[in-house]
Amino acid sequence: MLAYLLRRLGLALITIWAITVVTFIILQLPPGDFVDAYVASASAGGASISAAEADAMREAYGLNQPLWFQYVKWLGHIVTGDFGRSFEFGKPVIEVIGDRLWLTVLLAVGSIVVTWGLALPIGIYSAVRQYSVGDYVFTLLGFIGLAVPNFLLALIIMYFGLRWFNLSVGGLFSAEQDLAPWSWAKVYDLIWHLPVPMLILSLAGTAQLVRIMRANLLDELRRPYVMTARARGLPERKVIFRYPVRAALNPFASTIGYLLPFTVSGSVIISVVLSLPTVGPVLLRSLLSQDMLLASTIILLLGVLTVIGTLLSDLLLMWIDPRIRLGQLR
Amino acid sequence: MPELSRRTLFSALAASPAAMELITSTLARAADLSASGLVGEIQGPTMITDPAQWPKTFSEAPMLAELVKAGKLPPVEQRLPAEPMVWKPLNEIGKYGGTWRRAFTGPGDGENGNRILSTDKPLSWSADGNKIVPCMAKGYELSEDGKSYTLFLRKGMKWSDGAPFTADDWIFWFEDIYGNPEIVPTPTPEMRPRGKAGRMVKVDETTVRWEWDVPYFLFEEIMAGDTGLGGGQAVRQSGKISFGGYSPAHYLKQFLPKYSSVEVVNARAKQEGFENWVQMLHFKKDWELNTDLPVLGPWRSVRPINNPIWLLERNPFYYAVDTAGNQLPYFDKVQFTLGENLEVINLRAMAGDYDEQERHIDLGKLPVLLENQTKGNYKVHLDLGFAGADFLLQVNQSYDADPEIRKWLTNADFRRALSLGIDRDQLNETFWLGVGTPGSPAPAESMPQNPGPEWRKKWSVLDVARANTMLDGIGLTKKDSDGFRVRTDNGERLRIQIIAVQAFLPYPKLSEMVADQWRKIGIQADVKEMERNLAFNTQRNNSHHIFIWNNGGTELLYLFPIHAIPVDPVQAFMGPLYGAYYASGGTQGVKPTDENWLKIWDLFTEAASLKAEGRNKNAQEIWKILVDQQYGIGTVGQSPAGLGVRLVSNRLGNIAARVCNAQHCRTPGNSHPETWYFKS
Amino acid sequence: MSEARSGSLAVENRVAVATQRQLIWWRFRKHKLAVVSAAIVGLFYVVALFADTIACTEPFDTQATRGYVPPQPIHWLDAEGHFHPQVFALKGKRDPRTFKLSYAPDPGEPRDLVLFGRGYPYRLFGIVPTDIHLLAVSDGRPQDSLFLLGTDQLGRDVFSRLVLATRTSLTIGLVGVSLSLALGVLLGGMSGLYGGAADLVIQRVIEILRSIPTIPLWMGLAAAVPASWSPQRVYFAITIIISLIGWTELARVVRGRFLALREEDFITAAVLAGASHMRIIFKHMVPSFLSHIIAAISLALPAMIISETTLSFLGLGLRPPAISWGVLLQDAQNLQTLGLAPWLLVVALPVIVVILAFNFLGDGLRDAADPYG
Repeated sequence: MLAYLLRRLGLALITIWAITVVTFIILQLPPGDFVDAYVASASAGGASISAAEADAMREAYGLNQPLWFQYVKWLGHIVTGDFGRSFEFGKPVIEVIGDRLWLTVLLAVGSIVVTWGLALPIGIYSAVRQYSVGDYVFTLLGFIGLAVPNFLLALIIMYFGLRWFNLSVGGLFSAEQDLAPWSWAKVYDLIWHLPVPMLILSLAGTAQLVRIMRANLLDELRRPYVMTARARGLPERKVIFRYPVRAALNPFASTIGYLLPFTVSGSVIISVVLSLPTVGPVLLRSLLSQDMLLASTIILLLGVLTVIGTLLSDLLLMWIDPRIRLGQLR
Repeated sequence: MPELSRRTLFSALAASPAAMELITSTLARAADLSASGLVGEIQGPTMITDPAQWPKTFSEAPMLAELVKAGKLPPVEQRLPAEPMVWKPLNEIGKYGGTWRRAFTGPGDGENGNRILSTDKPLSWSADGNKIVPCMAKGYELSEDGKSYTLFLRKGMKWSDGAPFTADDWIFWFEDIYGNPEIVPTPTPEMRPRGKAGRMVKVDETTVRWEWDVPYFLFEEIMAGDTGLGGGQAVRQSGKISFGGYSPAHYLKQFLPKYSSVEVVNARAKQEGFENWVQMLHFKKDWELNTDLPVLGPWRSVRPINNPIWLLERNPFYYAVDTAGNQLPYFDKVQFTLGENLEVINLRAMAGDYDEQERHIDLGKLPVLLENQTKGNYKVHLDLGFAGADFLLQVNQSYDADPEIRKWLTNADFRRALSLGIDRDQLNETFWLGVGTPGSPAPAESMPQNPGPEWRKKWSVLDVARANTMLDGIGLTKKDSDGFRVRTDNGERLRIQIIAVQAFLPYPKLSEMVADQWRKIGIQADVKEMERNLAFNTQRNNSHHIFIWNNGGTELLYLFPIHAIPVDPVQAFMGPLYGAYYASGGTQGVKPTDENWLKIWDLFTEAASLKAEGRNKNAQEIWKILVDQQYGIGTVGQSPAGLGVRLVSNRLGNIAARVCNAQHCRTPGNSHPETWYFKS
Repeated sequence: MSEARSGSLAVENRVAVATQRQLIWWRFRKHKLAVVSAAIVGLFYVVALFADTIACTEPFDTQATRGYVPPQPIHWLDAEGHFHPQVFALKGKRDPRTFKLSYAPDPGEPRDLVLFGRGYPYRLFGIVPTDIHLLAVSDGRPQDSLFLLGTDQLGRDVFSRLVLATRTSLTIGLVGVSLSLALGVLLGGMSGLYGGAADLVIQRVIEILRSIPTIPLWMGLAAAVPASWSPQRVYFAITIIISLIGWTELARVVRGRFLALREEDFITAAVLAGASHMRIIFKHMVPSFLSHIIAAISLALPAMIISETTLSFLGLGLRPPAISWGVLLQDAQNLQTLGLAPWLLVVALPVIVVILAFNFLGDGLRDAADPYG
C-alpha cells in the first residue's frame, strides 16, 4: 500500500516535470515573442513603436537569451515559489493569478454542484421511469445542452438578457461593487451574477452525467438483489436508494479528481465571452501576447491540478473498491 | 475543399434585369449622411489667450476643497500656474463631480488612457486639427533659419504632487534618461535631422531651447504631433519606452545610479522584485502602472491598469481653468472597466454602461447601437476621419522569396490593374454601411497635404475591362481552365497571398470580398487570416505579398509616415527591407531598385528643413507618386470606422457635435474631456 | 397457450443459433432512438456527398446589394391557385436614419422554382463537370433571388454555404477519428498487451497529454503551422492536431479491453495452441471488442465537431475562405447577427442535430455491442 503510494507520487512528479517541458516548448512554437506581440497590439491601438524601441524592450525583458537558458531560469523561479513578473501586466504572476484564482474555483465548484444537483435526480428519474415521457423529455433537454456550442449560447443569453430583462451584461460584479470592499451587498451582487455562467458551464456536463447515471442505475436495477429486496417487501424508495444508487455512484469516484481542472479548462472560452474575472481570459490573453511567464504558470497550475486530481481519484477508488485493494495484496 | 470552385468568369458582368437596387451613389450618400443626423460640424472649446480676459479668482472641486481645509493641499491659487490655460467651454460652465465610465481591454490598452491625458503634450492642435496651438507649454518660437526652437513653459506650473515643473525637468530627461544608453540604446531620428544630433539647452526656469546644426522647420510640427518628442509623458514614457522630452526629475532621480550608485539602485530593484534598476525604472516612470508617478494631465492613476478596473482621479495641480476660474477637470474620476472581448464592450455600451466611449465601438453594429439609444440614454455621433484608407492593401516591394511573385508585385501596371479590379462601392456599402469615401489612400481634401481632387479617383475606380487589358499587356496572357492567370515561369496558377488580421474592421472578410472581385480579372488571391502577432512577425520577415492595414496618421505625413512610406522596418508593410535600409542609414536592409522610392525618401528627408509651404508641397509630390504607383492600394477611407463611432451619454454637457478624428488629434484628447461634465 | 409457448420456444431457438452479428442487429433495433439517429447520420453523409448538387448558389459569390437578406419564402401556389412554386426577386434599401437594410419582394418579378435545374458549374465528386443542382430557378440565376436561409453580410447564400460546411465538418470528423483510432488502437493495444515498461511509458504520455489544458496545446500547435501552407494542407494539419489530443480516450478503452481479454480462457487456449501474436490480436481479440470501438468512435465524432467549432471560435482551425460549421458559427458570433440577421444562427441546428444523432447512435451501438450482457 505504502509502496504503491510512493510509486504513484514519484510518477506524478515526473509527469509534472514533463508538463513543464512540454508547456515551455508549445509556448515557444509560435514565431516571435512578447515584444512582437506588444508592437502588434500597439500598432492596432493607434501607436507606433520603432524597431529601435522594440529591440530595447527585448533587451530589457531578457528575451534575447537562448531558450534553454530561459527555461532553466523559469524552473529555478518555480522552485523558489516566485513565478516571475508578467510582461503584460507588469506585476508578479502570482498576483495576477491570485486575484482571479478563487473566483475561478468558486465558479468551477459551483458548476460542479449544479451539474450534480441537476444530473443525479434526472438520471435516477430517467432510470426508474424508463421509456416514460419524462425520461425522453429530460434526456432530450440534457442532450441539447450537450450539443449546443456553449459560446454561442453565452452570447445569445447575454444579448437577450439585456434586451428583454435589462440584465447586467457579463462579468461577475457590477462596476460599482467591483471597487467596493467586501460587504453583504457585494456578496449579494456576486450571487446575482453567478447563475448564468454556472448554468452554461454545467450544461454539457449535466447531459453526460445523466446518461452515465441512468445507464449505471439501470444495470444495477436489473440485478437479482434488487428483485430480492422487492420480493421481501422493502418500500420502493428504499429499494432504489439503499444500494443501487450508491453502487451506481461508484464510477463517479474515479472521475471526481478530474472534475476541477476539467471544468476550469472548459470554462476558458465561456469566461472570455461573458468577460468573467477568472483565470480563463488571462490564460487566453497571455497565450495571444506570448507572455511566457504568465502562460506557463497557468498551464503548469492546471496541469498540476489534473495530476493531483488523478492521484486522488486513484486513491479514492482504491479505498472504496475493496477488490482493487485486495488485488494489490496478492 | 476550400478551393474556389469553377465558375464562368464574366457571367456576373452581364447586367441582370431583376437585380436589386440599393442607393449607393455618392450624391445620395452625402444626403444620407446629413439625413442620418449623426455627422455634425466640428466644434470645440475656445482657448482664451488674452491675459486681460483671464479670470481673477479661482475655485476648485469640492473634494479638493476638503483637502485644502484639512491642510493636506495648498489653496487653489497656489496650485495653479501664474499663466494657466484658460478655456471657454463649448456650451456652458460645467459642474464638478461624477465618474466618467469607460471600457478598456486590458493592460495592452494603455492608449485608451494616454489619449485622455494628452493635454500633457507641449503643444496641440485646433479643434479641426489644422492649426498648432499651445497646450501644456505656453508657446514656442522657431528661428528664421530654422536652427533653433524655443519652448516657453508656464510660470508656476506644478506636477501632480505639487513639485515645480520647470526647464530642469526637460534637461533632466535629455541628459539623464535620453542620454543614458542603458535606458535609451538607440537615439530617435527626431533628434537627428540629417543624421546630426541636436542639443537641448536650458535658457531659464521656464524656457527650453533646441539647437540644430541644420535647418529643422519640421520640428514645430513634431513638438505638436504624436511623436517621440512631442507626444507627452503619458504615452511616451509608458510601455518601456523613454521619450517624451521631459520627466519628473525630483521623483525619478532616486532610481538612477547617477544620483546614488549602481549597487544601491540594483539592490532596491531586487528588493522590489525587479531584475535590475533599468527594469525598475521602466516600471516607475510608467503612469499606467505606478500610481506614485507625478504627471501633468487632468487625471492620474490611483488604481493601475493591470486590474479589472483602472481608476483615475483628478490631478489637483492641473494647469487649466475655465473662464469662471474653476480649475479643470470637472469629472472627479475616470473609471475603465475591463471587457474581455469586443462583443461584451459593445453590448455594455448599448446598455448605457459608459458615459463617453469612442474606442472599441464597432461601426458594423451601428444599426443596433442606434436602435438602443433611448434605452441606453445615449446619442451616437459619427466623427469622420481624414486618412484616405481604412483598408489598405500594402504591396510588399522588398519581397524576394519567389522571383516570379516579386516580378509582379514590383510591376506598377500589375498593381494598378489590381486596383482597377476592386469594386469600392461594394466594399463601402457592405462594411462601412455607405459612410466611407471610396478612392485612393491620399488624405482628405481638407488636409493641407492633399495632392488635389483628381488624385482621389486616379487608378482607384472600378474598371474591369481596363484591368484585364493591362494584365494582358504586361505578359499575364495565359489562363488556366478555371480562367485564372498563370505564372510565366512554370504555367501554374498565379497566387497572390493577402495577409489579413482582425482589427477595428473585419479585414479578413473585406479581403474575401476583394478576392471574389479579383476573379473577374483572373487573379487568384489567397486570403490568410492570421493572429496579429503572427502576421506582424511574417511582415517583419519580409515574407508577405500583400498586407492589409490602414493608413491612419498619414494625414500629416511627416508626423506618422510609417503607413505610407518605409522609414522603419516595423510596420513597413510596403517594404520592410527598405525600411531597414532607411532607418539604419544604409547599413542594413536593401536599397530599392525602384527610383521612385529614392525620390520619395529625398523629398521626405528634405522636408524637415523646409518651412510649412515647402513641406506640404513635398508631401503632395510624395502622395502623387504613391497614388500613381499604387504601392498601397486604397479602397475606402475618411470614415468613422476607427475611433469615430462616438457614444455619449445624454447626461453629459459641453459635448461637441463632431470632433477631429485623427492620429495627431489624439482622439478623444483633442476634444478636451477636461471640459465635459455631468449635467445631471 | 401452446402456440405462445411454441412461439417463444421458436424465438429462443432462433436466439440460440443466431450469429453474433445478428444478435447485435436485433439488440440495436430495439433502441428506437438509435435507429432514427442512424438514419439521420446517413442522411447527413448523403448531403455531404452531394453537397455541390444540393447547394444552389455559388458559395463565394459576394454582392453588397444583397447583404443580410432574410430567409426567402417560397410561394407554393400561384395567383390562380395552381401548384407552381415560385420565388420573387427582391428590392433592397438602406434606411438613411437607422442604417438598416430592408428588402421587399417584387410580386411582378416571379421566378419559377425548378428541381434539377441549371445553376453554377462544379465537378460532381470532383471529377464530372456539370451544372445541375437540386434546386434552381428558371432563368438559371439563383444568386439573384433564391435565398432559402437568407444571406450573410457579404451577400453570400447561407443555405449553400451551410451545405458545403456540412461536407467539410463531417469529413474532418471522419479523418480525425480515423487518426485517433489508429493511434488509440496501436498504443492502447501495445500498452494492454505487453504491459510492463511499454505500458508505463504510454500511460505517462497519456496522462501528460490529458493534464495540459487543450486550448494552449491547440494554440501552440496551430501557431506552428506555417503561414504559407494552402488551405487544404492547413485543414489536414488541424485534423491531425485535434486527433493528437483525442486518441488518449480511445487508447484507454482499448487498453482496458486488452487487459480484460488477456485473462480470458480462449486467449490462453490460442496462446497454448501456438498462435502468433498478430493472429491472436487480429483474429481473436479485435472481434471481441470491435463493437466497443465502434461505439467509442461514434461518440468521438461529436467531440471532433465540437473541437472544430471551438478552434474556429479561437481563430485557429479552419478560416475563411474555407467553409465549415465552425467558420459559419464564428461569422454568427456577434451582436449584428443577433440584432439584425438572426437567421445566421441556423448554423447551430445541424451541429446540434448531428451531435445528438451521433450520441444516440453511439449509445445504441454500445448497448448492442455486448449482446450477451
